[in-house]
Amino acid sequence: MSALDSAFLSRLHAAAPGGVIDDPAERLTYESDALVHLRATPGAVVLPASAAEVQAVVRLCHERGVPFIARGHGTGLSGGALPHPDGVLIGLARLNRILDVDVPNLRVTVEPGVTNLDITRRVAPFGCYYAPDPSSQSVCSIGGNIAENSGGAHCLKYGFTVHHVLSVEAVLPDGTLTTIGSSALDAPGLDLLGVLVGSEGTLAVVTKAALRILRRPEAVLTLLAGFPSIDAAGDAVSAIIGHGIIPAAVEMMDRLTIDAAEASVQPNFPKTSAVLIVELDGPQSEVDDLFVTVERVCRQAGAETVEIARDQGQRERIWKGRKAAFAAMGRVSPNYYVQDGVVPRTRLSEVLRRIRDLEARSGLRIGNVFHAGDGNLHPLICYDEAIPGQAQHAEAVASEILQYCIDAGGAITGEHGVGADKKSYMSKMFADADLDTMQLVRCAFDPANLCNPGKVFPTPRLCGEVPGPYRQHPVERAGLGERF
Amino acid sequence: MAASHTAPVTAADMAAALADAARASRRVVPVGAATKLAWHDDPFETADTLSTRGLLDGFAHYAGDLVATIPAGMTLAEANARLAAAGQWLPVDPLFADRATIGGIVATNDSGPRRYRHGAPRDLIVGIEVALADGRVVHAGGRVVKNVAGYDLSRLFCGSHGSLGVVTSATFKLVPLAADSCTLVARLPTLAAALACAQALAHSPLTPSAIELQAPDPVLLIRFETTATARTQMLAATNALLQPSGAETQVVHGDAEHAVWTDHDRRISASTHTLLKVSVLPSAAVRVFTAWTPGVQWAANGRAALGVFVVRLQGTADHVATEISRLRRAAELAHGHLTMLDAPPDVKRLAGPSPEAPAAALMQAVKARFDPHAVLRRVCDGR
Repeated sequence: MSALDSAFLSRLHAAAPGGVIDDPAERLTYESDALVHLRATPGAVVLPASAAEVQAVVRLCHERGVPFIARGHGTGLSGGALPHPDGVLIGLARLNRILDVDVPNLRVTVEPGVTNLDITRRVAPFGCYYAPDPSSQSVCSIGGNIAENSGGAHCLKYGFTVHHVLSVEAVLPDGTLTTIGSSALDAPGLDLLGVLVGSEGTLAVVTKAALRILRRPEAVLTLLAGFPSIDAAGDAVSAIIGHGIIPAAVEMMDRLTIDAAEASVQPNFPKTSAVLIVELDGPQSEVDDLFVTVERVCRQAGAETVEIARDQGQRERIWKGRKAAFAAMGRVSPNYYVQDGVVPRTRLSEVLRRIRDLEARSGLRIGNVFHAGDGNLHPLICYDEAIPGQAQHAEAVASEILQYCIDAGGAITGEHGVGADKKSYMSKMFADADLDTMQLVRCAFDPANLCNPGKVFPTPRLCGEVPGPYRQHPVERAGLGERF
Repeated sequence: MAASHTAPVTAADMAAALADAARASRRVVPVGAATKLAWHDDPFETADTLSTRGLLDGFAHYAGDLVATIPAGMTLAEANARLAAAGQWLPVDPLFADRATIGGIVATNDSGPRRYRHGAPRDLIVGIEVALADGRVVHAGGRVVKNVAGYDLSRLFCGSHGSLGVVTSATFKLVPLAADSCTLVARLPTLAAALACAQALAHSPLTPSAIELQAPDPVLLIRFETTATARTQMLAATNALLQPSGAETQVVHGDAEHAVWTDHDRRISASTHTLLKVSVLPSAAVRVFTAWTPGVQWAANGRAALGVFVVRLQGTADHVATEISRLRRAAELAHGHLTMLDAPPDVKRLAGPSPEAPAAALMQAVKARFDPHAVLRRVCDGR
């Protein structure tokens, strides 16, 4: 009999009264996150209404050795919330309250199911905002952002989720409710928060978070420049940074994604080979000063068109074009595969050339939209699943692009996470010893390997005995081996 | 057996030295420039030391990417001198910045006034190489700023005080050197007024790189690093903001500015007395700085708008310990905490331990996995 027998299920009902989803059809909703080709039917789905209920559910799972997977709003793109067929999926959507807004200290306290953009909406009347802005910010949850260490277009200047989380309340895999970090800076002891953020739900279930909010900058200026080539646009980015300017955001799109965006939301982008969106923010006087340089640099790099957003409406139109790029690919291709890789910014041109060669060789069109300031690429590989084998071909092409990123000294994911999707690539980026060391943290938090198992790491690790004082193993004593 | 001192010149040798210590059940203390060794309540004077000062190879500046890999034994001063050649720097300004090594700065996660703009080392680190007690050299992160592949062990090692392994090199995100810098020095009539001004600045559209408090004679040092035009306008706006509080202000540039900031550091670091860090919610800071214990002389420097203050106390051990207890309670009431940095043994004994961190058991579990034979220093939780 599976671990989820009727006795278990009745205790699950008791742990989260009214929160268990019994209807098998309803459970299908939770089969995947936004990476829909990885699916599994969860053994059980529970939507707790409080931290205490989350704790009761995790305690039960721990007691019975049942895997559990926390899920926010299911917008993840790496299968991080892929359910376990013999496990419990813990949906946190009902924990959706903003608990405290502390404007004097620029802090908010929220539950994990609060949507990213709702924080900004709530604090906007006070002239504040929450900085991390993933493209999915109108639908993604803060709990998911913490799991993935989400970034966004503006992380070039303002950092990632890890720079904005001050503390969390979390249920550890053994059911202990604890606080990690503190609302005041520099909590004593190890920076467990730094490793918990971005651990993709494999270390704990976050039930509350204290976040930093920022004052809205006095001025924001957005420039849209069309370039004759991606290389020319790349040169402009290098020159901007070479002038000592860190823009709030620098985004680049190639012709295929420009056309797709145009067909979808009509942002009226120039019909050039590449466009660059550069945004500066800060005090008016500083923005005005720096903008002169940015505009000059763009023209020197060969910009064919330069448009400056004069008002909020124009600015929103430009960003709408950029943020719609993924979804818009549906206009030009029946299906597409979104890749997420990072290269050192100075290697962008070289890697993009390899991608163009791959495009010619593979026969699949590849659109490129990326955070040019930090080298985060999002190649969009177009395919038609109606053509037998093409989906697999697209996946192979996406995989080859990751190898280019690794070759250039980059990373296999800049913001979508490893999840279930990319765990086999971890060994290409890290040595076994590196992965073992990450697993030391995993074993400290979750020795029974119940918290979102099967994600992030290519091979599971048995955590072994709980370490205590050093005792020599008989093999060591006999001089036959050393312990590592 | 007399304490030994080893200074490996490669990460592999460092790891081997750690493994040797583990096999012999000898405790070792990793040491850089030894400027903050006492910021940990673990005896180090008689322990075997593993110096990181020989770890000087592998410096790499990826200027176009605003990233650098810096070996642990290199001083921050030398690293920044090299980075300046390309108009960049690693924007941390910790105590003893002239001598402190990169390894020590990571291990203590120490930062200074410009944390206000740039954050602490844990906010800037993007990759790390460490030697572990099991004899292995491992890496985490990478050399790109945006990277969510695997657990972020780089941050875990920031502030770990040599309890998990020895940092052998670290990779950081850099920033361009500012085109122009100046500091507005404002004398305020009261500490409450100074703290209120700091809060007002933090809520204004102005973007100083530091809002630094000096106390007990209340002074705010407000630094602007921006373009010349923007600086002029921001100084005028700051003066207008401070004026109703009765501030007397003066603007310093160049050598005079450098002297102001050097003196600022020396107020705290020049003499060896009790040194504490008090972290609180910024709006509640004023409550901490009242009702000092009679007989105790004190001085504080602090990131006023962040609520982080370094406090120096001087007096008899009894008086200082009493004051530590008062500060500890006051910090807790202000939703924060007090961390003991350096103090004479009798003060530490009289002041007693801090309350245990909420996740202390979890920290111990992590420590036990990294250092099962307890060769390295224990987790430093401010006690």
